[in-house]
Amino acid sequence: MKYRLFGIIFILLFLAWHTLNGLIEGDWGRLGGGFENLSVFFSESMWPPNWSVLEARSYPVCESDIEFFCSVGYLGMMETIKIAFVATILGFIGALFFSSLAARNLVPLYVAIPVRILLSATRSLPSLIWAILFVIVIGFGPLSGVLAMTFYTVGYLGKLQYETFEGMASDSLEASRAMGLSRSSILLNVVIPENSNHLLSQLMFMFEYNVRHGTVIGIVGAGGIGYYISTYLKFLQYEKVFALLILIFVVVVIIDLLSMMVRSFVNDEGDVRRPTWLNFILTPKEE
Amino acid sequence: MEDSVLTLKNLSVGYDEPLISNINVEVFPGEIIAILGPSGIGKTTLIRTISGLVRPLSGSFDLKVEKRGGLGYIPQRLGLVRHATVAHNVSLGARTRIKFSLNMWKERSQRTMDALRMLGIAEKSNEPVRRLSGGQQRRVATARTLAQRPQLMLADEFLGELDHSNVEIVFKAVQTLVENGTAVIMVEHHDDNAQLFATRIWNIKGDTLEDFSLEEWNIRTLGGEEE
Repeated sequence: MKYRLFGIIFILLFLAWHTLNGLIEGDWGRLGGGFENLSVFFSESMWPPNWSVLEARSYPVCESDIEFFCSVGYLGMMETIKIAFVATILGFIGALFFSSLAARNLVPLYVAIPVRILLSATRSLPSLIWAILFVIVIGFGPLSGVLAMTFYTVGYLGKLQYETFEGMASDSLEASRAMGLSRSSILLNVVIPENSNHLLSQLMFMFEYNVRHGTVIGIVGAGGIGYYISTYLKFLQYEKVFALLILIFVVVVIIDLLSMMVRSFVNDEGDVRRPTWLNFILTPKEE
Repeated sequence: MEDSVLTLKNLSVGYDEPLISNINVEVFPGEIIAILGPSGIGKTTLIRTISGLVRPLSGSFDLKVEKRGGLGYIPQRLGLVRHATVAHNVSLGARTRIKFSLNMWKERSQRTMDALRMLGIAEKSNEPVRRLSGGQQRRVATARTLAQRPQLMLADEFLGELDHSNVEIVFKAVQTLVENGTAVIMVEHHDDNAQLFATRIWNIKGDTLEDFSLEEWNIRTLGGEEE
């Protein structure tokens, strides 16, 4: 079994290498040059990160006692987090509605197929394209960002959710159907609670994804920290861009830790020992 | 004589090939029927067919129960929502039978707690089901059906994993349903349980269902015909 697994991994790696070799037409020398360029770019343009992005902006005048709250980093990040938060909540609810109509174990195939096509269509446009569309339709600003991310979230989470629903054990569904529970009651009282661990994990992942992508959609004028990244890129202030990227990384790590905490309420591990905030930073000692 | 709650006419059940053929039986309110037979012979397929989860291969069955909540079903793996609380699971049973009114929440909660008390697991009402032992989970599944008060209860080995005292607790609870006219069809592996609680035995032999009253079954088994 172990050797078969190694064999499969080896074949997959070979296929990947072979495909890449075809794509770059065998010119591996470019990769070496690329690393050198990256090293020069990083050491000369990005390092050290310019932490002035965490200081108060010169205009408008800061009215808070704490300078950080008037900084580009804080204001941009907060706007991105707010956009991601609203879009994730709206997208999650929309995705639940559509995924319950796309799961083959919940609805007949003639309902599931059209809904799946709709979700695929929503997902096939990246959030960046959605952002461009909404910027054209309703103009620059966070509302375009929220709408773009909501649409993408529905498509992306919808797929994850209906695949989760299809993977659930059938016995609880069968018992509920035989008992005569309505479709909506089965969804709300059986399917969602039974899959709560996965749904929460997907929700937190999507929030984190939306925070990360908030940086990209900001570049096309849909609000958030991406707007500042885009501005600094235009003026070649890469050390400030780097500082903002580190800030995004920290926020993403915090969301990941938060996800672990939230999911501990609905998984078996949490029954034994729910992690404390300290556990997130220090690995608990084995007893 | 009361009307039957279930009539099976020339019914054949199975997936591709028939496992049990040409079943002709009726089930009346207040009866407790134990289905006996070796593993893989089609006992579970028969009750899954009656519950509407598997299509009959041929023949028909007439289920004369209310569409909403008239049929209670405890599958082999119990069909509980593992991540939800005990009370939530039991209230699902009550939910199917209570009509919309201002008092429905109160009534649902009352039925749920009554069922939990009867099964001796009221103190576990706020625990997630996944934390309970196998035996406790079986009691939750029974409490769910108790709160539902169905006209026909189908149970697939729901007494398995239970020790003797728990079997008695569970069956005492089921007895209250039976006294109110619920018919019970249960798949059983233990002949002892069938003889203790059932009023009729369906013995599956080959692809045939043999229908016995408890007296007939006792004479047959004590008379050594099974050997």
